[in-house]
Amino acid sequence: MSLTKLIPSPTQRLSERSTPAAANAASAADKPLVAVQSAAPPYGHRRGWTPRRQEDFGDGGAFPEIHSRQYPLGMGQPQSASSGPTLPMTLGADGRVNFDAVVRQGQRADKVVHSKFSDLLPKPIDEDDPSFQRPDEESIKDLTEKTRDALQRLVESKAAASNPVRSAERTGPAQFIRYTPSQQGAGYNSGSAQRIVRMVEAQKDPMEPPRFRISKKVPRGPPSPPATVMHSPPRKVTSKEQADWKIPPCVSNWKNPKGYTIPLDKRVAADGRGLQGVHVNEKFVMLAEALHTAEVKSREAVSMRAKVASRMQQAQREKHEETLQQIASRARGERAGLAPAAEAAEAAAEARERDAIRRERAEQRAHERNRKGGGGANDRDRDISEQIALGRPALQRNQQDPEAAFDSRLFNQDAGLASGFHAGEDEIYNVYDQPWRANASSAGHLYRPTKGLEEGASADEELGRLASGTGRFVPDRRFEGTGGGAGGSRRDGPVQFEKQVEEDPFGLDDLFDKVKRSETVGTGSKRPASGHRDEGGSGRKRDRRD
Amino acid sequence: IEPVQPHSVHTLVFRSLKRTHDMFLSERDCLPAPDPTADQVRRAVKAKDQFGPVLHMQSSAKTARPAAGKQAAIAAAPAGSDGADSKSALIPASAASAASQAASSADPGSAASSAAAANTASVQVGEERMLVPKRAPLMPKPDWHPPWKLYRVISGHTGWVRCVAVDPLNRYFVTGAADRLIKIWDLASGTLKLSLTGHISTVRGLQVSDRHPFLFSCSEDKTVRCWDLEENKVVRHYHGHLSAVYGLTLHPTLDLLVTCGRDATARLWDMRTKLCIHTLAGHSSTVAAVASQSAEPQLVTGSHDCTVRLWDIAAGKSLVTLTNHKKSVRALAIHPTQFTFATGAPDNIKQWKFPDGQFLQNFSGHNAIVNALALNEDGVLVSGADNGSLHMWDWRTGSCFQRHTSPVQPGSIDSEAGIFALAFDRSGSRLITAEADKTVKIYKEDETATEETHPVNWRPGLLKKARY
Repeated sequence: MSLTKLIPSPTQRLSERSTPAAANAASAADKPLVAVQSAAPPYGHRRGWTPRRQEDFGDGGAFPEIHSRQYPLGMGQPQSASSGPTLPMTLGADGRVNFDAVVRQGQRADKVVHSKFSDLLPKPIDEDDPSFQRPDEESIKDLTEKTRDALQRLVESKAAASNPVRSAERTGPAQFIRYTPSQQGAGYNSGSAQRIVRMVEAQKDPMEPPRFRISKKVPRGPPSPPATVMHSPPRKVTSKEQADWKIPPCVSNWKNPKGYTIPLDKRVAADGRGLQGVHVNEKFVMLAEALHTAEVKSREAVSMRAKVASRMQQAQREKHEETLQQIASRARGERAGLAPAAEAAEAAAEARERDAIRRERAEQRAHERNRKGGGGANDRDRDISEQIALGRPALQRNQQDPEAAFDSRLFNQDAGLASGFHAGEDEIYNVYDQPWRANASSAGHLYRPTKGLEEGASADEELGRLASGTGRFVPDRRFEGTGGGAGGSRRDGPVQFEKQVEEDPFGLDDLFDKVKRSETVGTGSKRPASGHRDEGGSGRKRDRRD
Repeated sequence: IEPVQPHSVHTLVFRSLKRTHDMFLSERDCLPAPDPTADQVRRAVKAKDQFGPVLHMQSSAKTARPAAGKQAAIAAAPAGSDGADSKSALIPASAASAASQAASSADPGSAASSAAAANTASVQVGEERMLVPKRAPLMPKPDWHPPWKLYRVISGHTGWVRCVAVDPLNRYFVTGAADRLIKIWDLASGTLKLSLTGHISTVRGLQVSDRHPFLFSCSEDKTVRCWDLEENKVVRHYHGHLSAVYGLTLHPTLDLLVTCGRDATARLWDMRTKLCIHTLAGHSSTVAAVASQSAEPQLVTGSHDCTVRLWDIAAGKSLVTLTNHKKSVRALAIHPTQFTFATGAPDNIKQWKFPDGQFLQNFSGHNAIVNALALNEDGVLVSGADNGSLHMWDWRTGSCFQRHTSPVQPGSIDSEAGIFALAFDRSGSRLITAEADKTVKIYKEDETATEETHPVNWRPGLLKKARY
């Protein structure tokens, strides 16, 4: 609805030329200030003039006296295929601006590019619409044929490369072309307006190898322009979803290919120890219990049997003894008249009791002695680890004199530099200045009890005999000069070896000495020393080789 | 006077809402119909107000432009085309008649006008007749399909069953598995007929040729083999793939084989000479699915770079690149009779139109990695996912009418549920599923189901502004 059509048109036009002054100005404005020249100025008068439009060139070409870029007929003008970053705005058939010109820039005009919002909207399927129906048989057949031909050509060209050489291919028949050149005149083409050209296919030599090297690799051209993205950008990931997809780093018990240093708590955490439930079968426990009970029972049975057997044996022995005693008493009685047999039996029983008591007491005494620890005879013969285990004081353990029990360096520590500094000597090595066990004899430590124990001798006696010295563990002969303390003399310095005089059976040394002495005497006179030197050298050499 | 029935406020409000909804739903985005008298009055009032003093000087040439121009006409047209129900009470009779005229006068005439008529309707408003774009109807009612049920489980493979193909004469079907075997099963009874060995790695693609006694198989060991089914042995190898081959398809009319794989290319092979005619490069990631047809564009590929490409195989170049998906496209299905196809990705399954790849609609709801799609002639689209779920969709409307998850084979754990391949048999009545629990499952439509026993679970709703 336009109101301008409704209202009447204005009857009086208000123009700029109403006032005379304005009219003059308008008339003046109407006249152009500069006369527009239609053609170029003539030769000689062109100074300061430049051709601006195609019409300025007229019929001819560029003006050499005008020093500016000129493109008559547009020739030589750089083709701005990409005229900067701007595209001309065009309108489509429906009258709307083609906004997808940007997207369709480098492509053919008929290429299918989806760029509108309407391409995203759903459309219904209209079964009656012919565009929803498949094309008819004929068009499909045509398409099939075309495709087949195209592909066949490709296949043939590829297969021909591997085919064995056949005879020369027949060239097609010659073609005649009637050609009408654009430049016509009396001078061209000897006056005639048309020409006839005979076109013949050049024959291809079947044995000819390929003419061009196509193995050279050429970089790929630019790809086709990217397709428009017809979906919304991917949704932002929520923190919950991100947390769901978090994968903890792999900490393996077996592999560490990049050699990372992983703290122990992380290693243990990845272990999976707590995750496994160790299920032990109950039958293991049952088996163990059964074994235990079986063992106990068998032990009981064995001990019972042994007890019974020993009791029976004892009873037998007693009976035997009884019978023997009876026999003996009877015999005694027979010898000294009839003595009462009962007394002898009582006496024997008492004697046995007393023996038992004696034995017990001896055992007790020995036990007490053992408990107390003894004077040291025992300790001396024990191994050092046993002594430590029993808790004997160090003094007893080492069996040194009380003065040497403690290191002298521990005392008088307040003396400062005077004690222990040794004037800065680092190499003092006086730890092992004394033998380890000076007093303890090695005999006590290397005792091995022999099988043949004398009957009746107590263990105490045995030990005493051994400790004092069986004479078995004394070295036969000592090294000269060894034996610390009272034994051999203490070494103050390194061992002094005596040079042994070698036996010289042939007396060669005396010979050499004599020769040397005679040489030294005769060096005053001039003698070729080189010869001697040589000799000496050769002699030396010989010596060396020997 | 009838006594007023007492109702709760909630009921009253809801009912009134429903009435309002029903009444105005069809004209949701439409402006009210133009009323010529009201228009005239308005114009008169305005003219008097603004130009009262000069109105008498009006020139006789006064073109009476129709009031409310095109917008009202647009409003009238879809309302008219949308089913003449009780809602047409508001629509002026003239417009309704005009719309009906337009519907009837969708004369074929020339191709251009018919195309125009498809998208526009000729509407007469006032004295003018003009072409006005048609609006799509909102939420059409989906068709009823009988539900699918499992009726056979075939176990024989010792590895994931990765691919299925059906004989053109519907006698047998072939499966390829991760145990490197290709097994041929009888379709009617499900018994094993033949096992073919030869592949070194998982068999990923299978196809039985319509016109030759050949079976084509491709595998993760980069080989593509042609088996002669009369001799049961390999007769051709197609050498050229640089990496695992994931998909295989045969051209329906030409003797061509197309394979796609992990080297981001699809290769076109001449069946007879074993030559690679074209190496279709363009994808930037693994090409997971390939499908071919006899009409242009003859090849469709879907890739893990979230794009779908339509190719011109004569030139070896891609015609269109569709970037609507946000996640890898693993499944493709071309409709047997319609000129449409579907692509499947974890975000959505999308429906497209040939030849330009025009987007039609989304099948949204299967939120899982869709490994396979299969299309029926009855308009049933089946999508099989990595979690073992099968969704059945109505092709025309995009509504899901069945969701089914089969239990895994006894002996398999629940996480071994997954569908790798789907195929309808040649009749479209049996669905063969290749699964990750090493079984092949066959589904058929439930004969006992009717519209009453399994009603369509659909409610008309307003189209929300969907984000794509």
